[in-house]
Amino acid sequence: MKDNVKSGALTEVTFFILLSLYVPKHGYAIMQFIEEKTKGRLVLGAGSLYGAINTLTEKRWIEPFGEDGRTKEYVITPFGREIAEKELRRLKELTAIASGIIGGECA
Amino acid sequence: MSLKKKRFFAGFMGAQAKWLNSMSKKGYRLIKTGKLQYEFDECEPGKYVYTVEYVGDKSLEESDRYKAFLEDMGYRVFYKNINLDYSIYKATWRPFAEKGGRISTTRSTYNKELLIIEKENDGKPFELHTEKDDKIDYYRRLSYPWYFMIFLFLIFAIIAWPFLPSVIGLAAAALLCAVPIIINAIKIHKIKKENQLEE
Repeated sequence: MKDNVKSGALTEVTFFILLSLYVPKHGYAIMQFIEEKTKGRLVLGAGSLYGAINTLTEKRWIEPFGEDGRTKEYVITPFGREIAEKELRRLKELTAIASGIIGGECA
Repeated sequence: MSLKKKRFFAGFMGAQAKWLNSMSKKGYRLIKTGKLQYEFDECEPGKYVYTVEYVGDKSLEESDRYKAFLEDMGYRVFYKNINLDYSIYKATWRPFAEKGGRISTTRSTYNKELLIIEKENDGKPFELHTEKDDKIDYYRRLSYPWYFMIFLFLIFAIIAWPFLPSVIGLAAAALLCAVPIIINAIKIHKIKKENQLEE
């Protein structure tokens, strides 16, 4: 998963994982969250999710949360929130510019 | 009633998954794996789907962690050997292994190079790797042992240099090892092409 550091653009999967972890979740719940929110458009395989969780943990954007019995849960860090908020600002700016040109009525 | 079958798929992971899926369609669910043996219980035909993944380049700790993660996802996971042993005394040669562990007796994913993963059939394809970079990374990892084999054969060839027949034999072996590398490279190329962003 390559997130472009320079422009600040996140991959869709990264952004969704960050969003899903505003509330602590274990792996399966992250996968379900993404599938539900995108109505099945984006389906993440368990192997790819595992890799993404490890990468984001290394970057300290997310971290393990407590020990819920045996299943491991994760939660977004304050740094991760900063990243997600920055991405939201970038996307808003982009859609504002696009709407100004194309028209805002596109649902 | 349980059913026992003997099969050996070596590095042909796709074939192994295909066979397990066809067994499931016939109403047999995997319950145990041995070196050559697979044990099945009867089940509702087609209730489970299987996929096979290579983890032989990971440390045992890392692949155990991955296995636990997959089990948390609700899958059933089995370890499986990729090699048969070619052991002389206590040293074992394992072409599919992590760096530094190819000739060894150390604690590693020895005889646990593959994971067989089972999920309940929900009608969707069973893909563990869905992201472009992750897929590419996986196929690259699959090629590493073969690069190492080619390297070994080349060294042997240098040692055997004056003796032409063995040099030819070693060169042929090295060429054979290039086949999986080429297959993986084609797969990587396809993934890159499919996932190109429109510019």
